[in-house]
Amino acid sequence: MSALLRTIGVLLTSAVAVTACSSPDAAPGGTTASACAPAGDGPVTLTFTSWIPGIEQVVQAWNAKNPDIQVKVQTGPNGNGGTYQNFFNQLKAGNAPDLGQIEYDALPGFRVQDGLFDLAACDIVAQAKDQFVPWTWDQVSLGDPKAAYGVPQDTGPMALFYRADLFEKNGIAVPATWQEYAAAAEKVKAAGGYITNFSQSDVNQFAGLAWQAGGRWFGNDGQKWTVSLTDDKTTKVAQYWQDLIDRKLVSSVPPWTAEWDNAYNTDQAWTWVSAVWGANSIASGAPKTAGKWRVAPMPQWAAGETAAGNWGGSSTAVFKGSKHPYEAAKFALWLNTSEEALTLLNQKANLYPATKAGANLPALADGVAFYGDQKIYEIFAKASTQVPAGFTWGPAMTATYANASDGFKAAVSGKGTLVDALTGAQTFTVQTLKNQAIPVA
Amino acid sequence: MTQVATTQPPQAEPAVPIERAGPARRGRHRYARAVTVFVAPFAVLFLLFYVVPIVYAVVQSLYVVQRTGTYGPAQEVFGGLAQYRLVFSDGPFWASVGRMLAFGAVQVPIMLGIALALALLLDSGLVTGRRFFRLAFFVPYAVPGVVAAIMWGFLYSPNLSPLKPITSTVDLLSADTVLWSIANVVTWVYVGYNMLIIYSALMAIPTELHEAARIDGAGRLWIAWSIKIPLVMPAIVLTTVFSIIGTLQLLAEPQVFRSFSSAVSSTYTPNLTVFSLSAIPNFNLAAAFSVVLALTTFVLSFAFLKSTQRRSNP
Repeated sequence: MSALLRTIGVLLTSAVAVTACSSPDAAPGGTTASACAPAGDGPVTLTFTSWIPGIEQVVQAWNAKNPDIQVKVQTGPNGNGGTYQNFFNQLKAGNAPDLGQIEYDALPGFRVQDGLFDLAACDIVAQAKDQFVPWTWDQVSLGDPKAAYGVPQDTGPMALFYRADLFEKNGIAVPATWQEYAAAAEKVKAAGGYITNFSQSDVNQFAGLAWQAGGRWFGNDGQKWTVSLTDDKTTKVAQYWQDLIDRKLVSSVPPWTAEWDNAYNTDQAWTWVSAVWGANSIASGAPKTAGKWRVAPMPQWAAGETAAGNWGGSSTAVFKGSKHPYEAAKFALWLNTSEEALTLLNQKANLYPATKAGANLPALADGVAFYGDQKIYEIFAKASTQVPAGFTWGPAMTATYANASDGFKAAVSGKGTLVDALTGAQTFTVQTLKNQAIPVA
Repeated sequence: MTQVATTQPPQAEPAVPIERAGPARRGRHRYARAVTVFVAPFAVLFLLFYVVPIVYAVVQSLYVVQRTGTYGPAQEVFGGLAQYRLVFSDGPFWASVGRMLAFGAVQVPIMLGIALALALLLDSGLVTGRRFFRLAFFVPYAVPGVVAAIMWGFLYSPNLSPLKPITSTVDLLSADTVLWSIANVVTWVYVGYNMLIIYSALMAIPTELHEAARIDGAGRLWIAWSIKIPLVMPAIVLTTVFSIIGTLQLLAEPQVFRSFSSAVSSTYTPNLTVFSLSAIPNFNLAAAFSVVLALTTFVLSFAFLKSTQRRSNP
């Protein structure tokens, strides 16, 4: 027994010693040579984690043509739904996949945790820069024009999805401005529906609305971060939606639930201000309404303006620790620039490419049956060029979103306002950054 | 329990072949080796999956992060109790602990009361089809907690619920009611499990005791109250401790309810706070929260055990 106890004691102390030493040893990183050279001998197998519907078939197309670079794809829940948490844990444990899907808003968070390989070291990536819509490249270079922490994949230019049949039947004009949208909301309410729901538990949509209005939530001058969740433009957007909530013109059905699908499927919700990939969400969530939806440009803050918001959009990033960054970069470029892959991604998941040439993809010129054969991608192509540049994401968006969402939920239940929620999220975000020793002004 | 422990070793002693024992030391040596062999599998697993993670969490909780520049890589340095200072000044966390105590104070007695009643009913012989009911009560426990929460979420939802007359008059997902809606889910899942533990304790009561009581003229209720319940008290105490631990560690149900109730925030229960923090990721602070939560759970369970022991052995 005493021998056993002694063994346990030894094991325990060594466990403490190991955990205590390992962290400082790993810390002086960041200066490691980031070489991007081909492996040279023999075939390479890469691991890739993504949650795009149908990604397996896209990867199959690559594997069939590239026997020397085989990609093993793993699927998971969407980023904030669990995959990011897995990535962070895997990075900590040192067994992250070679490649991962990371939305633009989460890239700074992964870079702060020192989890991303700078793909600018791969000349094939550096040379591809000009193929991408400039603002998408800003989203992956994170303020350093010589860096690329991922290859842009798709974007989420926003527009107005609306029930053309119900609008016409009730003699309501399609709103072109937010003032008209609020006026239409009253008429829709009078006709027994809701113009839309307020997305209390998915703050990303609100971010897209604020982005369109000119809100800028974060800044990074190289010395310090600035957090401005309550800037004038964002406050204006928050007050606008608070007014709709107060007047009960928007529903409080939580997004991405069966209840929410049901509202769209049973004519209770008449519009959705959403991104291009949302075309897929309505079609799968509200099959009974096929043929009745149309797409119009996003309502504007002043008549005659042409600004669009952006909601979502992903990059394909290579994690630090990948032994084959060159091969990984090669695959990421094929996935996000080749006509073959972009067409598949559009067909499987309604993704809208981040490349300039992607706008002319033949698949995007077709009408979409669910939208009464309307050529909906023409609207999104235009919106894509109208997304204001210069929107920077913060280094801990998970925390920002979680806290803002708590506040939004309270506001929808009548406790406090959306502006209060943003003020709270501002304080919480600053505190979160300070707790992690991230310099913040 | 203590009685059993003290009576067993004398029973085991004679099993040693006294004639062949020779010097007493040799026998003990052989014993030690056997004990080691039998205990080793447990000890190794216990060490790997229990002790080491706890020690790791404690170590993590004592570190803080340092970095330079907006994207400087993190450097973990010893920070003493810095993370614990944040834990103890975190209002929402302690509010969530209070919320769980209120939850436990109401839900645990109700759940165990139902479990005890069902167990007594099955044991009374009044019920035909005992085997069927035993299984039927237990089935909800076989449903994974997340699935149960999703299912009840549908039943509670104002527009999709088949119980629309109820859900359209009372919002079961609002800030005032959602805690008790979750309590109902937890009760539904765990009643059968607790019933089974109490029921197996009831089965272990010697039938002579019932018979003697019946001959003395005791009715069924009297037997249940004066004989059965006191004898299964250890099982009730055990299920209570399990329930206290389970309550403070509530995660799956509120996490599922987060998506369809506006009243469940990202810090609604202590474990949700830990979960949200590790998603940032701020592992050091999350570790400190975990350690404090574990200690709180330990203190509460231990206090409960102590209080019941004092009552039974005055």
